[in-house]
Amino acid sequence: MDREGKEKQKKEGFSVARMLEERGVSRRDFLKFCSTVTAAMALPATMAPKVAQALDKVQRPPLVWLEFQDCCGDTEALLRSANPTVGELVLDILSVDYHETIMAAAGHQAEANLEKTVKEFQGKYLCVVEGSIPMKEGGAYGCVGGKSHLARARQVCGSAAATIAVGTCASYGGIAAAAPNPTGAVGVKEAVPGATVINLPGCPCNADNLTAVVVHFLTFGKLPSLDSHGRPLFAYGKRIHDNCERRPHFDAGQYVEHWGDDAHRKGHCLYKMGCKGPATFHNCPTQRFNEKVSWPVAAGHGCVGCSEPQFWDTSPLYRRLPNVPGFGIEQNADKIGLAFAAGVGGAFAIHGAMNALRKDKDGASENQKDGEE
Amino acid sequence: MSDKKFKQYIWELPVRWCHWVNVLSIVVLAATGVLIGNPVFIGSSTDAYLMGWIRFIHFVFAYAFLVSVITRMIWTFTGNCYAGWREYFPFMGAAGRAEMKEVFDYYTFRSKHPPETTGHNPMAATAYFGVFCLYWFMILTGFAMYAEHAPGGTMHSLLKPVYVLMTTQTMHLYHHLVMYLIFGFVINHVYSAWLMDIKEKGGEISSMFSGYKFTTSPYAVCKSRLWDFFPWKSKK
Amino acid sequence: MAKIVVDPITRIEGHLRIEAEIEDGKIKDAWSSSTMFRGIEKILKGRDPRDAWYWTQRFCGVCTTVHSIASIRAVEDALKIKIPPNAQLIRNIIIGIQGVQDHVIHFYHLHALDWVDITSALKADPVKTASLAASISDWPNNSATHFKAVQEKLKAFVGTGRLGPFANAYWGHPAYKLPPEANLMATAHYLEALEWQKEVIKIHAILGSKNPHPQTFLVGGMSIPVDPDSQNALNADKLITIKRLLAKAQDFVEKVYIPDLLAIASFYKDWAAIGGGVGNFLSYGEFPDPISGNLWFPPGAIMNKDISKVLPLDQQKVTEYVDHSWYEYQDGQGKGLHPWKGESEAKYTGPKPPYEFLDTDKKYSWVKAPRYDEAPMEVGPLARILVAYVAGHKESKAAVDLVLGKLGVGPAALFSTLGRTAARGIDALLIARQTPVWLDALIANIGKGDYRIHANEMWDPKTWPAEASGYGWHEAPRGALGHWIKIKDQKIYNYQAVVPSTWNASPRDAKGQRGPYESALVGTPVAKPDQPLEILRTIHSFDPCLACAVHVTDATGNELVRVKVS
Repeated sequence: MDREGKEKQKKEGFSVARMLEERGVSRRDFLKFCSTVTAAMALPATMAPKVAQALDKVQRPPLVWLEFQDCCGDTEALLRSANPTVGELVLDILSVDYHETIMAAAGHQAEANLEKTVKEFQGKYLCVVEGSIPMKEGGAYGCVGGKSHLARARQVCGSAAATIAVGTCASYGGIAAAAPNPTGAVGVKEAVPGATVINLPGCPCNADNLTAVVVHFLTFGKLPSLDSHGRPLFAYGKRIHDNCERRPHFDAGQYVEHWGDDAHRKGHCLYKMGCKGPATFHNCPTQRFNEKVSWPVAAGHGCVGCSEPQFWDTSPLYRRLPNVPGFGIEQNADKIGLAFAAGVGGAFAIHGAMNALRKDKDGASENQKDGEE
Repeated sequence: MSDKKFKQYIWELPVRWCHWVNVLSIVVLAATGVLIGNPVFIGSSTDAYLMGWIRFIHFVFAYAFLVSVITRMIWTFTGNCYAGWREYFPFMGAAGRAEMKEVFDYYTFRSKHPPETTGHNPMAATAYFGVFCLYWFMILTGFAMYAEHAPGGTMHSLLKPVYVLMTTQTMHLYHHLVMYLIFGFVINHVYSAWLMDIKEKGGEISSMFSGYKFTTSPYAVCKSRLWDFFPWKSKK
Repeated sequence: MAKIVVDPITRIEGHLRIEAEIEDGKIKDAWSSSTMFRGIEKILKGRDPRDAWYWTQRFCGVCTTVHSIASIRAVEDALKIKIPPNAQLIRNIIIGIQGVQDHVIHFYHLHALDWVDITSALKADPVKTASLAASISDWPNNSATHFKAVQEKLKAFVGTGRLGPFANAYWGHPAYKLPPEANLMATAHYLEALEWQKEVIKIHAILGSKNPHPQTFLVGGMSIPVDPDSQNALNADKLITIKRLLAKAQDFVEKVYIPDLLAIASFYKDWAAIGGGVGNFLSYGEFPDPISGNLWFPPGAIMNKDISKVLPLDQQKVTEYVDHSWYEYQDGQGKGLHPWKGESEAKYTGPKPPYEFLDTDKKYSWVKAPRYDEAPMEVGPLARILVAYVAGHKESKAAVDLVLGKLGVGPAALFSTLGRTAARGIDALLIARQTPVWLDALIANIGKGDYRIHANEMWDPKTWPAEASGYGWHEAPRGALGHWIKIKDQKIYNYQAVVPSTWNASPRDAKGQRGPYESALVGTPVAKPDQPLEILRTIHSFDPCLACAVHVTDATGNELVRVKVS
């Protein structure tokens, strides 16, 4: 590239295609990648050129990644993101200005990076949030740089172009919000109601879905359509059950009864082992994990429903139904229901017996005398 | 008090039909529902489609039940006064409350006079109101879970409030639990019908087939009127 | 005397804050504080013990298998379940590759930038870099063309003026000592390791559906079925893929990680005298033999840097203090509680955020202070390798002697920041070589027709005793991890995890004894107090993992069932 070209590039910033080219990714591979993300976003194939065009133009919009009450699982998922050579680079198309787990800077200098981006790119940067936000004790359950998570969320998410809540914690409060929610943990949307938030729940979220959302945003300048829980339809528009490779076994009535039994080895349905696929919206069966190697049901363990709000309190791993509120853990719906029905039956049996013994005044006795017609 | 009994046409045809369609649907829905929740059967091969058929039957009867419940609700506005919607709120009027007390006292062995009612006895009618609420809960949660096979479809869109109120797992749980409440109602209902059949000597049980009950006082068959909202009038 | 604060400590898991007092260019005193709390152990109360592994797995997404392992071991110990050989071997493979992958990520992506100045790599000569690399390893990617390509990419990236995650670091700090060529080599391997790590961890996906957070653990075994005649189970095809990935892992460790480690270490030998720490080491041992249950890495403790003997362990000697942690004990503080009796209520008494400094004389962390036999203990690869070395573990002894020989230092050099980082490499090497052995054993066992993966007898909670208690130990990548559980009426009555970073990040105890981070920092030179790179080096050498470290339990067995209808 000549000097002028370099200057021009410097002025215009980076284009994804050019960057990929510099990284040894051919135009052909780039277009292939664009079709892959287009497919991941469930857009028609005709959209692929538009995606490519959009990515061509993008000038590395800044992205900041905040970690609150998290386990870092979503960051790790990002490190395993699926398209081996290019998937990673898609994150390079962004300028990841702040991410505690990967950034080189530390302490005050790290905080300065964040403040700079928030100030200079007000309303233009993307924010990714991992982890829930504790509301109790004035935010003392989570602090970075002496500032509470809540204060940071309000500042950073509040002035972002859009906030992507990755994982179930950032989306709905997740594990920290499970009963009795000691820290008053909530998801981003609840903590900062004014922010534009898209939820990518999952424990952890599938990095392919995150990449697809970012590309969608860059391509169309807006977020994808969401369902009533704030999740993009392209990734959460269908039940696991309806895309499950083991569905024929469910319909046929072939179920795993014990771990390692014949049915388990043959890949029968895990419904009776507590699989929550019928109650969970996610694209795990089709998108899979770790470059489409596998997903829980394929590896012999039922779905736990990790992308559903409140799944921690409503999805015991190995039982179909949640516990009945107000009863002990071993009290499932059937036990309580049968006890209730038996109670009613017993009560009326006694009532019946008492009735058989009693004598009614104007009914039985009088009618008996001359009641025959 | 006269001993003479008059044969009266109380339960019109739609009332009886709805009643028995409900009975059949509840039995089938409960049986298939229990199996769906806990499939104790074993499909012989992958093409067996056992669970498929059981779910299909469940859904067919769910629709039958829905039609029956809706029909019965329409009939509360078009049928005779015994089928009328005011029957289900006896506690709204003084006379109704007095009657309720009479029945309650008899049930709890405080009175020895078996109450005589021409249509629904007011205790039962109140219970039916509660049961109709349970029916609608089952219909809404049931169809909400059913509609999840086609998110974004018409049914799914119509039922959106249900998804906002409950997660799918919660729906599964309460759909399952309310079944037991309906079991409780059925036990109560069959027992009370049998009891009243004996005590009232009005042909309570056979009336659900024939439509005729035997009462001690003659009266004209009444019509329910939509606009006849208040004041509450005893039907006597 | 200046007090400095580093918060956030980046390139770690979780939220860690270090406050340090500096006098005459050296750290005089230091305080380690965790600033995030979730209370998962409290949330666990009243739930199904069979589910606990899934919950505790969420302690941490980096060491994403370790809490599952410790949790199922604790429940299995409480219920006296013996798992089938296949399950034991599959667990060993999962643990093995987790350790190797985790160490490589730590070295390149979390720790390397403390030693490697990426900006200096721009000045390197790719040809010289290639000859430097060739002198230490025959890794095929170490060519001048490759290094030139990396340098070009780096130049283009820096040319944009937008450094993203590399912006505003301590580049050009006087404590960076590598020549430009070594910096370029390390940067190239930083990028290569990024590709490598997501390949080798596919073993977790094959055996456990995904990584992070594999979903395959069961109390009593594993949920991945084994059947060479089924396409839905662990069959020859999948086993051979695992074998290939394990070979890839071993290759990278032998040809890239270890040579880089030795090359970088040779420029930083002064760090073999810095960051010594508490001098007490604890290792729980790991890799049970599927038949005998004997551990491949021996367990034990070393006290006061005395490498003449390894002390046997007694789990009753583990206690936790809360004198400087934001919790309350019912009977008051000042004494430690064993995890089975572990009680505490979170009680924040620190400053109201936003704050400048914590009150380090009082309570200052969400991490409790665990002690073994009343002493603070360092855990991690260094502890593991030292214990194995002293106990006479053949493979460890050979590897340690080799590395010490190459660096030309004695065993005493291990008690340092550099020693900790070197021990991690040795650990990765040993495990990378041993994991294929477990795989071969698994293949042999399946070949014999043993397809069992789960002990079913105790699966149904109805078969359990009314009360049971157990503990599960696991020597995780970051060190000694223990879960303690009490089960009552088929429910979790009490749950307590004492995890590696709780040991290492521990604040002071009742006697005022510093925790390992705090001890290790004392005496560390700080050239520029406003750019405390040296603090990062020592802290990162421990591989902190803070989300794991913070817990709380509750003494009263509350029922925890809630279905929120919102």
